[in-house]
Amino acid sequence: MSLAKPVMRGMLAKRLRIHLPLAFLSSFGLAMAIKFMITEPRKQAYADFYKNYDSAKEFEAMREAGIFESVQPSGK
Amino acid sequence: MAQYTQLGLQDAASPLMEELLHFHDHALMIITLISAFVLYIILTMVTAKTTDKYILDSQEVEIIWTVLPAIILVLIALPSLRILYLLDEINDPHLTIKAMGHQWYWSYEYTDYEDLGFDSYMVPTQDLTPGQFRLLEADHRMVIPVESPIRVLVSAEDVLHSWAVPSLGVKMDAVPGRLNQVAFVASRPGVFFGQCSEICGANHSFMPIVVEAVPLEHFENWSSLMLEDA
Repeated sequence: MSLAKPVMRGMLAKRLRIHLPLAFLSSFGLAMAIKFMITEPRKQAYADFYKNYDSAKEFEAMREAGIFESVQPSGK
Repeated sequence: MAQYTQLGLQDAASPLMEELLHFHDHALMIITLISAFVLYIILTMVTAKTTDKYILDSQEVEIIWTVLPAIILVLIALPSLRILYLLDEINDPHLTIKAMGHQWYWSYEYTDYEDLGFDSYMVPTQDLTPGQFRLLEADHRMVIPVESPIRVLVSAEDVLHSWAVPSLGVKMDAVPGRLNQVAFVASRPGVFFGQCSEICGANHSFMPIVVEAVPLEHFENWSSLMLEDA
């Protein structure tokens, strides 16, 4: 009875065939996750913040809180 | 101002800083992509049961690992150059302020219309009032009108300093005998903090910059009051 012939060549190629696409896919997937979970939400957050931003109203709120030194709260 | 456990950049208070923030996110995404790829390859190599005798002369992989990085560099360079040229745009400032670095305080001069100048020293820790920030507060703040293009001419009277306000996306070296120009627009009212960014001696860490952006009429009232007090 003879043993099955062992795999003699192509082991690296076989490994690369599996892992190289996996490496590209996983790193690209991580980059896309960062893009859609961090980058795009941050851009949207800034756009939303300034879309209906009332500069005068925010200034008055900060003024009343006493944040500024050049402008005192309206009571003073 | 920076928070204690902050990892990222401060919230942007000027359009340029917003651009820089988004570019930073873009560059970080590319760095993460490359790092994840390299980490995966290292793990694959470390756990491999095979050994490869043929480790020299592979035209195919040489081409791939030259072309791919070149493409990645172009993807980084294009938005970077766009912002670089944005920084240099002619901006027709409404106000010019001179910021002079001294050991160890800043002085500001508003000489467009009248001769207004004052020094800005750090508020010592023992003199802070509740709610004030340690090592960041100054006795006189640089007040500017909000949503107006401002030009700051930065120089120094003694040694090198650097005038920096991270949330406005501004940093400019103060060199004795040289006038450096930086321009920005404060997109929203508020108080923005910065610190001297070039080593200048014993109290380099204790000469902060505070910029206060208020509506134009309040800025005019403030400058009139300052001129009266002078």
